[in-house]
Amino acid sequence: MTDAAATSAKDQKLKEAYFTASQGQLIWQRFKKNKSALIGAWVLVILILSGLFAPFLTPYDATIAGRDKEYLNGAPQIPHFCDENGCSLRPFVYTQERTRSMATNFRWVTETKTGLEDRRYLEFFSEGMPYKLFGMNFSTHLFGVDKGMIHIFGTDSTGKDIYSRTLTAINTSLAVGTIGVMIAFVMALVIGGVAGYYGGWIDSTLQMITDTVRTIPSIPLFMALAAFVPDEWSAEMRFFFISLVLGMINWPTLARRIRTHLLSERNQEYVLAAQLCGASAKHIIRRHLLPSFTSYIIVDLVISFPYMVLSETALSFIGLGLKDPVNSLGVMLQNVTSADVLLNYQWYFIPVIFFIVLVLAFVFVGDGLRDAADPYSDSKK
Amino acid sequence: MFPFLKFAATRAVLAITTLILVSFIVFSLMELVPGDCAERYVAFKASQGQVITAADVDAERVRLGLDHPYIERWGKWIINAFQGEFGDSCIQRLNISRLLGQKYWISLGLCLSALALAYLIAIPVGILAATSKNAVLNNSLRLVSYLGLALPNFLLALMIMLFSTIYFGDSLTGLFSKEFRDAAWSYDRVIDFLKHAWLPVFILGWSATAFAIQTVRALMSDEVDKLYVTAAAARGVSGRRLMMRYPARHALSPIINSLGFDLNRIFNELPVVALIMTLTEAGSLLIEALARSNDQQLAGAIIFLLTASIVGINFLTDIILALTDPRVRRSIVG
Repeated sequence: MTDAAATSAKDQKLKEAYFTASQGQLIWQRFKKNKSALIGAWVLVILILSGLFAPFLTPYDATIAGRDKEYLNGAPQIPHFCDENGCSLRPFVYTQERTRSMATNFRWVTETKTGLEDRRYLEFFSEGMPYKLFGMNFSTHLFGVDKGMIHIFGTDSTGKDIYSRTLTAINTSLAVGTIGVMIAFVMALVIGGVAGYYGGWIDSTLQMITDTVRTIPSIPLFMALAAFVPDEWSAEMRFFFISLVLGMINWPTLARRIRTHLLSERNQEYVLAAQLCGASAKHIIRRHLLPSFTSYIIVDLVISFPYMVLSETALSFIGLGLKDPVNSLGVMLQNVTSADVLLNYQWYFIPVIFFIVLVLAFVFVGDGLRDAADPYSDSKK
Repeated sequence: MFPFLKFAATRAVLAITTLILVSFIVFSLMELVPGDCAERYVAFKASQGQVITAADVDAERVRLGLDHPYIERWGKWIINAFQGEFGDSCIQRLNISRLLGQKYWISLGLCLSALALAYLIAIPVGILAATSKNAVLNNSLRLVSYLGLALPNFLLALMIMLFSTIYFGDSLTGLFSKEFRDAAWSYDRVIDFLKHAWLPVFILGWSATAFAIQTVRALMSDEVDKLYVTAAAARGVSGRRLMMRYPARHALSPIINSLGFDLNRIFNELPVVALIMTLTEAGSLLIEALARSNDQQLAGAIIFLLTASIVGINFLTDIILALTDPRVRRSIVG
């Protein structure tokens, strides 16, 4: 008897917790149940953190300042524990030296020295090039080697460390994506909001314009816009312009969703109830309409994020987007179509894996969030 | 018949209005590019050793009609554009329609084949996925459709090139063999073209296929549990016949509607894929026009043509839907 009372009280409490839970808590509850989305979220957090802390996690500067003159187009160096000269508790890589002599027919050849004295031992928290993180100066890196340099993903044709570039590129892509999404969001909110709130001919006209922009294939349009950038612009200006362009072109889809949502919410009973209680339009929009779809907007933003990243990559890849010294996946892939790279330097493609994982993580999280934010997702099944 | 004609006419007017709006956007973009055609011509003459003054530039502007007001030139441009005439390219000093010519049709053909391929694969596979309870099949299809987004076509093209160079020693690029590149169309050239074209079609269709499978599956699984399907099953229809005659017909009409946007997505990929695969058609011409020479006349013409094809497809699918889907037909006739 007391047991049953206790359980029913517990049930009551759970029910109460369920009914009084905020939108955010409900979404989080549903999101947690989705395994693939949860894994995606973890991967995403790790990638974002590794992008943010790239200067610490990478041994060298990703720009030309961090190049290794001795190791151009160098293959990835994988740390060993053992070789024919015996084992070591500390992992090591070999010294590579560029030599040119009679024996090599006077061409530059990279020679790997495997002697005991040529081992470069891996060090953690080693002191290296100074860098700035969150406005402060540091010079400790997660790892490095005691002499010379280490390149776990190899180097490119100018000797820049591909591992360092990859992590920095994640940072760039996230930044471009964020700025682009924000611009698209503001435009979508204004245009979709106006169309949805006023309705009537304003809505029809704005819809016409939105649909027209949607019909134009966006990458060719990007290309046309990106062609405006004069060559003499600095890398930073280019960066902001490209983010701006990405945002300016991606707003229609978002605007359409916001408008549809506003149109349907505007005629809901709770809005009418608020109006009858004498609430002002400002109050209704702020306290009732906006909270009703913030979760949807956040989901939409997460979903549109990978498209931004991919568009930037495509643009930079064909040479119309970002340029050196800014690192992004597109910039890093610029020269890979040459037969030389395809045949001899396949490690140029390592960053691609990171980006596929990044985009996949975003897609999984976006899908998971969408399912979680949909109040009917449980009843559908 | 009359309400249908009215419907078709409304759609046609809408399509043309969209095109006019597009042309305005494209034309404004062309105008915004720093420097105009007259300056380019004159700069070319200057590079040939002639002495050029500011008066020469103005004279050239008058000759090209660039001294007329903006709206008037836009009107002229759009009237010519609807007749397939885009004037001359400033940089290459050649007639744009001649420059584009069959290249545009080849691109359009590639994209449409990619679209057709996407749905040839997606419709059976999507229906199968929606109706089967096989977890392995469903999960692998989900993975493929996620990869369709995460591995965009140009990365796929790069990967295929990487592997084919390593394993076959050939990067499988281009649209024609060397001996056919400038030859006239002949039986052999068509065969040669087809031998090369399958890979770009596959690559262009890759993301579209992944998306299409996802859409078909979602639409189909919404329909299979509906009562009319149960009713039909109760009357003794079963198996493939049941699926194809009842839910599939319902599920597929929204797909016809979205063909235009699928084509849009394929066009998006076209320039970059074209660059990687060194396809000598409109996509790479667009890159050429924008990245290398800043040729706004040519770029504008290509973007306008691409959009016009999408608007055309949208118009066609509206009409097809009105003819084939009884529900839409009903709503038109009233």
